[in-house]
Amino acid sequence: MKKLTLSIILLACTCLITWAQTSGNTPLDGVVKKLDQAKTVADYQSLEKTFVQIGNAAKTDWLPYYYAAFCNAKTGFLLQDDGEKIEPFSVKGEAQIKKSESLADKADKKALAEIYVVQSMIYRTKVFINPMTMGREFGTLSDQFLKKAQALDPENPRGMYVQAWTKFYTPKLWGGDKGLAKELAGKVSQQLSNVVFSTAPHWGKAESDALLK
Amino acid sequence: MKINTLIDKTILLLLAAIISATALGQTRITGEVTSSLGSPVPSAAIVLKGTTAGTTADSLGRFSFTVALKGPQTLQVSSLGFKTYSEKIVLSDTVLTVLITLPDAANDLEEVTVSAGSFEASDKAKGASLTPIDAYTVAGNGGDIANALRSLPGSQQIGEREGLFVRGGTNEETKQFIDGILLKNPNYTSVPGIMQPARLNLFLFKGVLFNTGGYSALYGQAMSSALILESIDMPEKSAANFSVFPSNLGAGFQHLAKSNRSSFGGGIAYTNLHPYNSIIPQKPDYYRGPEYINANANVRLKTGKDGIIKVYLAYAESTIGMRNADVDSVSLKSDFRLKSRNIYGTLSYRDELGSNWRLDAGATYSYNQDDIQTQLLNLQNDPVSIASSPFDSKNAAHITTSDFAQGRVVLTRNFERNQSLRFGGEHFYFRDRWNYNQKITPLTDHLSAAFAESDIRISENIAARVGARLEYSSLLRKATLAPRASVGYRIARGEQLNFAYGIFYQKPENVYLYQNRDLNSSNAEHYVLNYSKKANNRFFRTEIYYKKYKNLIRTYPGLSNDGTGYAKGIELFWRDKKTVKNLDYWVTYTYLDSKRNYLNYPESIRPAFTTPHTFTVAIKRFFQNINTSVNVSYSYATGRPYYDIRPGNDDATNIYDSGKASPYSALNLHVAHLMKLFKKSKIKDFSGFAFGVNNLLGTRQIFGYNYSYNGQYKTPVTLPATRTYFIGVFMSLGVDRTDDLLDNNL
Repeated sequence: MKKLTLSIILLACTCLITWAQTSGNTPLDGVVKKLDQAKTVADYQSLEKTFVQIGNAAKTDWLPYYYAAFCNAKTGFLLQDDGEKIEPFSVKGEAQIKKSESLADKADKKALAEIYVVQSMIYRTKVFINPMTMGREFGTLSDQFLKKAQALDPENPRGMYVQAWTKFYTPKLWGGDKGLAKELAGKVSQQLSNVVFSTAPHWGKAESDALLK
Repeated sequence: MKINTLIDKTILLLLAAIISATALGQTRITGEVTSSLGSPVPSAAIVLKGTTAGTTADSLGRFSFTVALKGPQTLQVSSLGFKTYSEKIVLSDTVLTVLITLPDAANDLEEVTVSAGSFEASDKAKGASLTPIDAYTVAGNGGDIANALRSLPGSQQIGEREGLFVRGGTNEETKQFIDGILLKNPNYTSVPGIMQPARLNLFLFKGVLFNTGGYSALYGQAMSSALILESIDMPEKSAANFSVFPSNLGAGFQHLAKSNRSSFGGGIAYTNLHPYNSIIPQKPDYYRGPEYINANANVRLKTGKDGIIKVYLAYAESTIGMRNADVDSVSLKSDFRLKSRNIYGTLSYRDELGSNWRLDAGATYSYNQDDIQTQLLNLQNDPVSIASSPFDSKNAAHITTSDFAQGRVVLTRNFERNQSLRFGGEHFYFRDRWNYNQKITPLTDHLSAAFAESDIRISENIAARVGARLEYSSLLRKATLAPRASVGYRIARGEQLNFAYGIFYQKPENVYLYQNRDLNSSNAEHYVLNYSKKANNRFFRTEIYYKKYKNLIRTYPGLSNDGTGYAKGIELFWRDKKTVKNLDYWVTYTYLDSKRNYLNYPESIRPAFTTPHTFTVAIKRFFQNINTSVNVSYSYATGRPYYDIRPGNDDATNIYDSGKASPYSALNLHVAHLMKLFKKSKIKDFSGFAFGVNNLLGTRQIFGYNYSYNGQYKTPVTLPATRTYFIGVFMSLGVDRTDDLLDNNL
């Protein structure tokens, strides 16, 4: 009986390896490395597909869906001047980030903070669809999720970056502050200047540097 | 334990699969099809491209099949609602396991829509599509949705009358509907030569569908155009607002229950232009008003899960007394005095009945009374009475009262892929009394209508809307059947070609029915072809159309239905929110060729309310640093024709004089500065001041001429004053309206 169990396990392993190879999945490591180099909508969209596949294969990991949603958020930011095109990415991104949240450990404050930062960005992309009509609802939601994230992890550099972005683009009368925005972006840039690579979220330097220009 | 068993089972199955595959020298392909978020896609079709090998996934999205083929192949997976997915695989005598994530079809492909003949301003608008606020903020609209829409292609710039003159039609041929219910008197009662304001506040509406042709079978009794307005549901927050402009005071509030399931509110507005007119001289000598009073209340209730009941009540009155020089004698003046009262109440109900049915119902009642007195005056403003023509008819008293009621029910059955069937009926009750110098003419009509319309998806890129409308008028004792059809074809993403056709009936105006009830409905047949493209926050749209009018009213020699006419034209619309940062502008061009032989026209001529070329520009810019928005609109239209038409010696009328009025050219400017007055207060206030000038350049506008009875004298129809100014402050407590402007820049 023991032998049989062992051989089954062995076979199962072979199967799983075959599974992984034939469906073209690469480990999260390599894809995140590629993500660090991504620049265009095409880059992010091709990576998004890979993250979804990894997510669907792993089934229980919050990270692949988180990255998929992040790819859609970045796509929305890149397309922010083309309201006609953004919606499908926002819709996909919202579903993915919710899926990611459902898989995350509810006690892991740092992970949840990362998730809410991306969720805040996703709602900001909904504002881009048509600021006039979507702004009030989704601008507010975006702010709420950013506050949620910062309450869970005040030192999260990505939360700080999204705050900097918002401060930068909000008019003065309504709380915008370009000086503070640059200060925050500078802090993020410094904090992330020598990050050791891992699959954990570590983006934010390039984005902050863009604000500092 | 359960999971372990499942894993064991799977492993055993896989094991069996491997053994059998290897044994037979074939390849077994197994796998799982999931949607983008990992949920299984049942019944997906799996095939090897170019072969007959394949299978269907089970209810868990899993599949397995064996093939005798070898080498590189393409695996193709498809399922309804998803994009077809292909993956290259290599077959080699083993078990091949694939995990497939099917991309959503709906996410990337926008549905094809049916949109010929209509301009939609919706709160769901994306990119450069119009939102209601875009329409409301066109400079110079004076708070009237119809005026705001004059900056869109298809409508004429008619400076002396309210309403929309669309594609060769009069303002009477455009009707406004709110949640399906006819809005019988959208503006204050007409005054000769002077545009009257709208009764309803623009911000009551969250959706505006401006149909310039070929509109839905759900609406009728409008030969040219239907303006379909959708009222807002619940307000976003409780709020109060005030505005103080020198000639206009307004206040209103909205209370939203904590549960968000009910709200109530109200508002009052008082306008008296007398002080303004004493500073800015007006062409008519106003000795009374113009004065407008408006009070309204609303209640909104959610019922069940999706139901909502909305009630709106309003009272409005206008008072005007004015003296003009009499066209027939330099030693006389004519006095025009109007007092109008209007009560308006409407109730609408909407609910989902089960998962596929929807009910829309509504009812309205309105009462309108217009007291009009005309009087000849001498130069000292004393009444005079002259027994000979044409002066004998100039001292008159008209009292027109009208009761109007409507009930309407529409049922919608939804089918898959956004297809639906709508059908329903409505009944209109019109009771009008015309009291002319104490002689009363009554008029009562029951008009019933039944309609059905279906949205059909013919293919992925073609959608159609087909419908018909049957109407019967008890007054005319006649039934009409109006077919309507519209097709949309998607050429590419954001690019569409549309076609619409329809027949549109409208019963004659009361002024003719008072004299003769033996008339038929007039009708217009519309053909509309439309092309539109949206991309990169830019929107281009062009439309060509042909309209044929039949059974128009003729008034000479006798009242009949023999009138005919046509209208054809091309329209262009271009909106660009991208090229200049923070600047939003649109440009339109309208070409109209229209002739009618109706009323007292002796032959087929271009009607006086049409002109061939109209050009409009609307520009909006928000200056972030100074929190100021600047809106500019400009319209230019070629001169309209004018005629002196009178009966001749024979049996017909003659055109004794005709000409072309000067071109219309108006530049309007509207500036609003936003600020917070109480920065430290807990209650958010969003305040500001605004000023504006209409016809900033002071162009002298001549719309046409009024002729004396013998044609010897003509007086120009022009604006009461060259320029119109307004300035004032507004404050809103609670709801942040300024977000609308602010978010535009985020």
